[in-house]
Formats: sequence, C-alpha cells, structure tokens
Amino acid sequence: MPDQQQPTQQPPTQQQPNQQQPGDHHDRPTGTPRALRLGVAGPVGTGKSSILATLCRELAGELAMAVVTNDIYTDEDARFLRSAGVLPTERIRAVETGACPHTAIRDDVSANLDAVEDLEEAYGPLDLVLVESGGDNLTATFSPALADAQLFCIDVAGGGDVARKGGPGITGADLLIVNKTDLAPYVEVDVAAMVADARSARGGLPVLALSRKDPGSVAELADWVRSVLARHRDGTHIPSDPGPMAPHSHAPSHAHSHAHSHDS
Amino acid sequence: MPGLAPLLLGDGRLPVGAYTYSAGLEPAVAAGLTRDRIPALLRARLRTAAVTEAAAAVLALRAAGQDLVDYGPVQRALAARTPAAPLREASAALGRGVHRLARRLAPDRPAVTALSAVRPRPLRPVTLGALGAVLNVSEEDLAHAVVYDELQTITSAALKLLPGDPLDTVAWVLAAEPDATAAAHEALAVRTPAELPARTAPLTEEWALQHARRERRLFLA
Ligand SMILES: Nc1nc2c(ncn2[C@@H]2O[C@H](COP(=O)(O)OP(=O)(O)OP(=O)(O)O)[C@@H](O)[C@H]2O)c(=O)[nH]1
Ligand SMILES: [Mg+2]
Repeated sequence: MPDQQQPTQQPPTQQQPNQQQPGDHHDRPTGTPRALRLGVAGPVGTGKSSILATLCRELAGELAMAVVTNDIYTDEDARFLRSAGVLPTERIRAVETGACPHTAIRDDVSANLDAVEDLEEAYGPLDLVLVESGGDNLTATFSPALADAQLFCIDVAGGGDVARKGGPGITGADLLIVNKTDLAPYVEVDVAAMVADARSARGGLPVLALSRKDPGSVAELADWVRSVLARHRDGTHIPSDPGPMAPHSHAPSHAHSHAHSHDS
Repeated sequence: MPGLAPLLLGDGRLPVGAYTYSAGLEPAVAAGLTRDRIPALLRARLRTAAVTEAAAAVLALRAAGQDLVDYGPVQRALAARTPAAPLREASAALGRGVHRLARRLAPDRPAVTALSAVRPRPLRPVTLGALGAVLNVSEEDLAHAVVYDELQTITSAALKLLPGDPLDTVAWVLAAEPDATAAAHEALAVRTPAELPARTAPLTEEWALQHARRERRLFLA
C-alpha cells in the first residue's frame, strides 16, 4: 500500500481525485489457525437444525464448537438448539436477517461474520463453527466469504425427484445429505435411486443418506466433518463456491452429456 | 461529474449488513403504526434521528481529515445522545459492517486504523465518516447519503413489514425531499461534537427498548 501511510489527505470538502488503491488484502488474518466454518443449507424443514444438534452431540466432546443460526424470525432455530442441550447456550447465536435469509449467507454476509467473529473472540480458539442458513429454496448456498465448507440437506419427504432437479446446493455443496431415510417407506421413495441421481449430478462429490435413527449414517457424517477439519488445518481444503445459480450442465461431471442437460 | 463514490455510499446494495436494520420501523409497527402513517414516520425521523446521525457522520469525516485522527469526541458525543442501549448496540453492529468495508478498501489509511482505537465499537455514523474519507466524498454528499439511507432503510423494511405496492415507497421518498434537504443542511451546520444535536425522540426509545425484549424479530432495531 504505497501511498496510504502518510496522513496527507486533503480536507474532504475539496473534491480530490480518488487517491485510494484497491486493497488486495484479505480480511482473514493469514497464518492464524481459525475455526472451520461449516455452513448447513437446504430447504425448509429438511433437518438442518437436527443435523447441527447431531454434530454437536457427536463432536462437542472432542472439538471446541459454536453455532450461528439464521432464521426468518430471529431465534427459532437457536431456541431449538439451546433446548436440545447439546452445547452451552451462550455458544449458540442467532442473527437477524431482515427477512432476507438468502442475502445473509451470500450477497451480504456481514451479520453472520460478526456473529462468528464474536463467538471466536468470546470462546476461542474454536475448532468448528456451524452456521445454519434460514430454510430457503434450492438456490440458497453459502458464499465462501462466510463458509469454508458447506453441506446441503434435502430429505426423502420432499420427494424422490428433488436430487434430479439439481441446483447449486445439490450439485456443488461439499456434501449432499439425503436426510430422513427412515421415512422412505412411508413416502414411497427409493433411497438408493435418489442417492444415485444425486451422485450423477455431482461429479464425484460425496452424497450421504442420513437418518438420525441410523447410527452408522450419523457416524459417517461426523467422520466427514472430521476429515474436512483435518484438511482445513493442513491447508489442503480449498473453499469452493457452488454459486447462486450454477446451471445443471456446469456440474463438474463427466457422467453428463449434452443429451440430457436441461438448462435454459 | 461527482463520480461513483457518493452513489456507492447511498446504495442499499452496499454489502455492509444494512438490510438487518429497519431504522425504527419494526418497533413502530409492533406499537401499532399502520402503512398510511409511514410518510409521517419518515418526516419524524428526518427531524430527529437522521439529523443527529448525519451530523455525527460529518464530524467523523472532518476528524478523519486531521493529521492525528481521533474519533473519540464524536463517538462519545453521539453515544451520550443515544440513551437507549439497544439503539447504541444496533448502531455499533451496523458500524462493524461499514468498518469491514473501509478496511477492505484502505486497511492502512489513518482514517481507517483509527476506528480500531474506538472503544466500545464505533457507532455507525463514525464508521460512515471514515468510509467517506476513504471514498473521498464531500461533507455534503456524506450528509445527504446518511439522510437518504434513513429513508431507504425504512421504506425497504416497509416492504417486509407492511407490504404494498413497492412503487409507493419511491413516491414517499420523493415527497420527503424537503425534510431530507433540511436535515442535511442542519447536520452540515454542526461544527463541533459539543454542538451535536440530541434529537432522540422518546417514542423511538420506548419502542426500541420494547423491541429488544421481543423474541420474534426480523430486524435489529
Ligand atoms: N423421521 C425423521 N425426522 C427427522 C430427521 N431429522 C429431522 N427430522 C424432523 O424433521 C423436522 C424438521 O427438522 P429441523 O431440524 O427443524 O429442520 P430444519 O431444516 O432445521 O428446519 P427449518 O430451520 O425450519 O428450515 C422436525 O420435526 C425433525 O424432528 C430424521 O432423520 N428422521
Ligand atoms: Mg432449522
């Protein structure tokens, strides 16, 4: 920053040509290990808060954790999580989203960054901060300015076709969860087919069929988080952005031919 | 040609977290304000909170232009004129977003580094003064931007809280122009932190205090 040390700025009333240099600094302190920020997105009611509760239950014994929730109304999710008793209540913060939950995790992440930074300052060093998005539609994903990694959660109750519909969360999130598999028989969904659809849309990115009633799947989820955390720590995890509206055909997939890309 | 900076400053899409704020509208609606009273609320805000905020921002911009940047006096003067704690907290929260942007644009500029010395966190008008210095805007542009932002904050929150035709909100803003201009002029006339007008309205404070205790909220304040 060559010309920004000296306090020689003219009185601001005199209109000067703009002297400022575009900053190339990143906000994040470099070199300091900070918590992995893991976003959890997905449509309303698919089980995001339950996944947060599960992760706290599985991991809070070994990791220093905190949670930020985004909701249509401020603190419904936070209250649910506090009452679940899986984490000290003061480590669960809710942010106001001005009825713009989508904006809060992508276009303008200020409020969420503040909450994450506050938690790190108050209880840090932390290993893992979970951020739940407000339940939104299939296009709502986290900006890498907020989340280092993200999982996207759909459920069998939303119907077997959801995975095939695609959208940036389904095709590009670091992990796609097909949740509530225990309900599959009641809603006549073929879990294996739904997972296969999801896999073919994701070009090799992982898919996990989850139910809180299936301990094996819960263990897999916890292991996935541990592995991302390990990669975050050794610097091999590179945050990627699923984008707000990645067209289906842009999925990093070899399995896809033009024959059935159905964008536009 | 004034350039882009004054426009940026007044742009509601600036990613500084402003969409979490309703400038008192949500608390007012909870207290019974109806849609037809929004123009009156706009006028009331322009005669009260907006004058104090714009004047504080201009004072901060002037402080930012000194050899030794010290925001302490304007921060203290503004805090003293913002007696309701939830309003100070909301202002500090919004200030963080503006501070983050200023840091991103000019991390080493004294106008920006001096913000980190302010305790507790700098209030929004103080950070806007710093950002104004970074963007090199005039006092007039800054005062107008703060006043305009007050109007836009309320009218865009109205689309969530008292929804109706969005085009109405533009007409409301334009109708408030004489009061907005008067507010900006009044703010520009303030020379020292000691002269900062204390314009908080009792109802604004009462509603803000009630809002802070409410659980189901969309907006900070
Ligand atoms: N059967 C079954 N139900 C589940 C499972 N996970 C969550 N649920 C239920 O699904 C409903 C919604 O769960 P939440 O965790 O609140 O979902 P959410 O995505 O956080 O919801 P919003 O925040 O409102 O978008 C609740 O009734 C949960 O008990 C599961 O694995 N199996
Ligand atoms: Mg939830």
